[in-house]
Amino acid sequence: MAAKWYELITGSLDDKKAYRQYKARIAALPEPYGTAAKAFERYFMYNGGITDGDSAVMITMLHDFADLWERAAVDQTPVEDIVGDDPVEFAEAFAAAYAGKRWIDKERNRLTETIQNLERKEER
Amino acid sequence: MGKQTTEMLKGTLEGIVLAILAVSPAYGYEITARLRDEGFSDIAEGTVYALLVRIEQRGLVDVEKVPSEKGPPRKVYTINAQGGAYLEEFWRTWSFLAERIEQLHQRIERTNEEGE
Repeated sequence: MAAKWYELITGSLDDKKAYRQYKARIAALPEPYGTAAKAFERYFMYNGGITDGDSAVMITMLHDFADLWERAAVDQTPVEDIVGDDPVEFAEAFAAAYAGKRWIDKERNRLTETIQNLERKEER
Repeated sequence: MGKQTTEMLKGTLEGIVLAILAVSPAYGYEITARLRDEGFSDIAEGTVYALLVRIEQRGLVDVEKVPSEKGPPRKVYTINAQGGAYLEEFWRTWSFLAERIEQLHQRIERTNEEGE
């Protein structure tokens, strides 16, 4: 959720510092890595499926993300070798690896419980 | 590699990567290189990277950060006991699936031959 990002920037001092460090690392990337990293960052921000409720996990994710692009820039790995042929799929897979608590989890549990309760009623 | 290969690989890639690590510990980019040597030519580095993060978070590998001359430290991945247990189950699951699918294949082939 975009709100979470907002909290990183306005939240605890440590988070703010870590977030600023991350931003500086991305800003320092040479082209084409900078543009690629910023494009993914934008997608992460607007995609609600990214970690929610745990800023530590998000900070970890962002710094790992910066590691990935810095490494690619140093090794001169082509962007397409990093991303593969589907940028969206890569973004989703990357974010999914940081399975913190997500806002959707609550809804998933609710759905599961409702259906399970139905089954219990049928058994009676 | 076609779309179908990519889809099928999704469920097995964790096992494949752990199998590669069972041979010897490796850096992320080495793992991608070894996958390519094994014929998985189109696997994106980022896909492997995301997968390594996932198996690290699930405690299947031990990770050591090694300083690098340039850029961020490189991470060396080593399979641990939990990863070993996962890998054993992976081989069992794989054998089961491969066997079932092959049997189905054979049966359909035979039916088609009899029908001709």
